[in-house]
Amino acid sequence: MTDAAWYAARGAGVVSLALLTIVMVLGIGSRSGRPVFGLPRFGASLVHRNASLIAVVLIAIHVLSLLADPYAQLRLVDVIVPFDAAYRTAWVGFGTAALDLIVALVVTSLLRRRIGQRAWRAIHWLAYAAWPVAWLHGIGAGTDRSSGWYLAVAVISVIVVVAAVVWRCSDTFGTVGGRRMERRVNDAIAAAQRPPPTTYPGRTR
Amino acid sequence: MTALSDTTVAIAPPTHQRLLIGDDASIAAHTWRYGPLPQVPGDLIQRMVKDAGLTGRGGAGFPTYRKVEAVAAGRDPVVVANGAEGEPASSKDRVLLRYGPHLVLDGLVLAARAVGAAETHVYVPVEAAADVHAALADRRDPITITVHVATDAFIAGEESAVVSAVNGGLPAPRDKIVRVVDQGVGGRPTLVQNVETLAHLALIVRYGPDWFRTQGTTAEPGTFLATVSGVVADPGVCEMPYGVRIGDLIDATGGATEPVQALLVGGYHGGWIPPDPDIAFSRAGLERYGATPGAGIVFVLAADECGLATTAHLLGYLAGQTAGQCGPCFNGLPRMADTFASLAELGTPPSLAGEVERLARLVTGRGACKHPDGTVRLARSGLGMFGSEIAAHRAGWCTARSGGRR
Repeated sequence: MTDAAWYAARGAGVVSLALLTIVMVLGIGSRSGRPVFGLPRFGASLVHRNASLIAVVLIAIHVLSLLADPYAQLRLVDVIVPFDAAYRTAWVGFGTAALDLIVALVVTSLLRRRIGQRAWRAIHWLAYAAWPVAWLHGIGAGTDRSSGWYLAVAVISVIVVVAAVVWRCSDTFGTVGGRRMERRVNDAIAAAQRPPPTTYPGRTR
Repeated sequence: MTALSDTTVAIAPPTHQRLLIGDDASIAAHTWRYGPLPQVPGDLIQRMVKDAGLTGRGGAGFPTYRKVEAVAAGRDPVVVANGAEGEPASSKDRVLLRYGPHLVLDGLVLAARAVGAAETHVYVPVEAAADVHAALADRRDPITITVHVATDAFIAGEESAVVSAVNGGLPAPRDKIVRVVDQGVGGRPTLVQNVETLAHLALIVRYGPDWFRTQGTTAEPGTFLATVSGVVADPGVCEMPYGVRIGDLIDATGGATEPVQALLVGGYHGGWIPPDPDIAFSRAGLERYGATPGAGIVFVLAADECGLATTAHLLGYLAGQTAGQCGPCFNGLPRMADTFASLAELGTPPSLAGEVERLARLVTGRGACKHPDGTVRLARSGLGMFGSEIAAHRAGWCTARSGGRR
């Protein structure tokens, strides 16, 4: 029975990494108003959102089953406060830090309309910190860290995410079929020159 | 002239012609006609607007008091007078700003008082800006008034496009996730009102809601400015009460000069109705034809003009006026206009009307603004009104162009 929790935690952890990688790549590759990886733009954002929500569920399973596992000796405080765990303090601490960051990302995304686009975007940059920290947690804390298949998953994840970042930073990211993407607004509106406004300050009689 | 402006007592309220009285736009003539700006507290203005049943004159006919109440509930609101009038078949805002600019500015000042705004904006086409500047030079208003020049584009007068333009951006409509009455100019609650609505408001505050309701119908009180064009003797702007017989409205602009086939009412986003002079020009009277008074537009189509070709021409214009932001509008409207144009040609394949309807369903409700929906309304109205012509055209025959005879 105790083994079940351990296996569940490992499985959920590995699948979380794969899901978070998908979320990262879609997030990096998506830009408003264009398709990405063959997905239409609404599809890209839907998969990005749903994969991240499934990842959150799996991370919850990962953490809860470790809390239930006697070998891990995980205290409730270790779920929230990083770098204080008894077992592999640093590596588990990365996991806690990643969890905190991911919770912040998900909560701000769910409240996106309330907090406003600018605050949401600023916080969403944390994704670039959350993913590497989660990756380090997986490579350092896990039972499977020395097994070949896990290393393969971890290495492929890094390659895919780094490739997405490189593509995003390259000149070709802003083009489709060799044409540069621009905000398309009807020429009659975009090109029209308007004189500056004139203000008449309020005057009391 | 200064002597006149001081004698403002015994002037009776206007009755039928309210907004357009004479062509002297000076402040002296204005004060002589209507008296000085009334000193009425904001909450009373709100109540008067509600009791009068004033509706927006920009086309949508939205109850003014609901916007006023929503904006008044917010903090540090802004009021915008919208005279952009991108609708090609309308010139009533332009005429009002030429001959009654002080009525509009009075309405702006009173609307600002009603919602508690210290900052206001006037958004008008370049031709009207000179009239507004001239009027403002002769006034002393307690609020800040900024005059913006509107882009000459169909959608430039759409509420959220107006807000975007006043904010210094492109006059393109935005998505309606947040309402303009909650977050508009500078992110503040914003009351955008058509200039004619504001002129009516200025008179309601002067003469009271009961006076306002002496014209028009119970459901649709007041007068409106109509723009009549097409085959009429004296095309232009006239002031009429809601519910007026459409025949009387056309006679007010000199009457039809040729046999009439159909009338386009409401504007380019409006609908075709049969040339029955007894139809009442009101929301209730036009409802059964799928049309609304809109911004008070009537276009008179001659019997020897092809209704399908005319509709196709209007659709082509509207398709070219998409802001280009939303795919269904940007891609769908040109396609629908082209299909309709093919429909207007002679000897066309039979599937085209179905294709127009299919495209109409595809684009409806899928824009940030109502431009696709309004364009679809015109297309469907054209299919309905000139339905018998479609079959004739398919058989290689246009009733209008051949004089209605075989």
